[in-house]
Amino acid sequence: MNKRLGKPVKVLDSLPLLIVCIAVVSSLYVVCFTGIASNNAMRYMIQIFLYITMGEMWNLLSGFTGMTSLGQQLYIGLAGYSVAVATTKLQHSLGVGLLLAVAVSVVVALLMSLLLFRMEGMYFSIATWVVAEAFEKLFLNWKYVEQGSGLTVRVVPYPKIFEICAFSLTVCVAAVAVVYILLRSRAGLGLTAMRDSITAASACGVNVFCHKLLVYVIAAAFTAVAAGVFFVNKGIVYPESGFGISWTVSMIFIVTIGGTGTVAGPIAGAVIYVFLQEFLAHYPGWSNIILGAVTILVIFFMPKGIMGTLQEKLGFEVFSAKRFSFAKHK
Amino acid sequence: MSDTILEIDSLSAGYGDFIAVDKVSMTVEKGQIVSLIGLNGAGKTTLINTVAGLQKPDGGTVRFKGEDITSLSADKIVAKGLSLVPQGGRCFNRMSVQDNLLMGGFTKSARKKLKETLGHVYELFPDLADMKKRPAGALSGGQRQMVAIGRALMARPDCLIFDEISLGLSPAVIKDIYRRIIKINEEEKTSVILIEQDTRRALNASDSFYVMLKGRVVLSGKSSGIDSETLKKAYFGI
Repeated sequence: MNKRLGKPVKVLDSLPLLIVCIAVVSSLYVVCFTGIASNNAMRYMIQIFLYITMGEMWNLLSGFTGMTSLGQQLYIGLAGYSVAVATTKLQHSLGVGLLLAVAVSVVVALLMSLLLFRMEGMYFSIATWVVAEAFEKLFLNWKYVEQGSGLTVRVVPYPKIFEICAFSLTVCVAAVAVVYILLRSRAGLGLTAMRDSITAASACGVNVFCHKLLVYVIAAAFTAVAAGVFFVNKGIVYPESGFGISWTVSMIFIVTIGGTGTVAGPIAGAVIYVFLQEFLAHYPGWSNIILGAVTILVIFFMPKGIMGTLQEKLGFEVFSAKRFSFAKHK
Repeated sequence: MSDTILEIDSLSAGYGDFIAVDKVSMTVEKGQIVSLIGLNGAGKTTLINTVAGLQKPDGGTVRFKGEDITSLSADKIVAKGLSLVPQGGRCFNRMSVQDNLLMGGFTKSARKKLKETLGHVYELFPDLADMKKRPAGALSGGQRQMVAIGRALMARPDCLIFDEISLGLSPAVIKDIYRRIIKINEEEKTSVILIEQDTRRALNASDSFYVMLKGRVVLSGKSSGIDSETLKKAYFGI
């Protein structure tokens, strides 16, 4: 254990990394706007960007703060319905729909925090899931949102695919940047301390409730934006497709495969997930079994995920959340 | 009256129906070292956890520097200048030693003089300065205890509570830690509460003492000149 913790780590958080990031992101924007990529390729890119956003947020909750939520689909469903109601029912633009999605999610997250933060660990996880299920039942029986038959998302004028792609990329970049900046800030120091020992953290003067709330609300807001875009692309939202546990399964897969507690992990995880899912579409019925088997294998042989293991083996770290890295010592 | 820094008045706390601390009163004077001794399960840790805001009291009041802090949360109490070194140290194992210490200066009031305090802590614990970049989880038990003390000092407290600081440490290390606690007390005029099972060591280091048994204070007084027979009877409840 000592050896592992004391391993020298080079942190690539300097100018070169920043330049690489800017180069990658701007080339992705160029790809979006110039039409180099086919519509099909852009569809994949949109999925990857949205899954990165959701994965980063789940990782922020579970991997960095120790709040393992099984109910982030609550905000996905709320966002889907918010966008549908704003655009189809109230004839507003997509922008209004997304703003409504964020507003609804933030308000619900604030209310839920009063209930959920009384619990910790396993109890918190189960409670988040129960709340999401309860909302599914609510929407199944709510006449205004057409009960179980779902709501269509009819956006006029419908955005071009490259616009959706560029917007998703923006959301994704913002999500990664927010997570990174948050973890490097003073609040991030408090969050990392809470993960190691809640008692000691609060004895140091960390306001545990406020820190949890901050993370929970940020996660809800970003998950909502990503989900809103997702449902615009999909065109219809049902209670089952919005509030289903399968969203959380995807997020856990992405984060576990990529590397829990690393900022770069969900990026790798989302890319793998989208391609694996596409490949497995040829084997209906088997896809979930194979996804599950892959997850188990990764947990057994690479418990730190792909990025975590790579970083350890090669002795580097991208987007390090540590402000004072474990430098060489004799 | 103005010399009293911490005043606990008939404080009660428990877990569900179980009463762990039953109407305990205690006073700590400015610059004093007070030892709180008693058997396992006497309620010592519950008492100070309640004082530090980690647990909710069932009744009674706690006044610190004349201010009622009974219902405040732990982080607000730390900001007022009352710090706790929890049982077993509870370091942040995945963070470096220096990050652990910086965590101690998390409150707004402590942040202003962070660098200065950090230098002071390194002066007091020179060994920590040598390994400031190592993760706390890689240190020995005694070293981790030093990190925990240093971390509590970073908040620049007026009153420091040590919960069973000697637990699981070798006699030589305990002696060293006690020497530094007394040094902190003398140099900074910090009031100290020592929670101990080792009666003799605690009495030697402190000005006054309290003995707890089954949630109540059964004996208290000046540490010097206490007759060991009376103490033994109170300690074991015979």
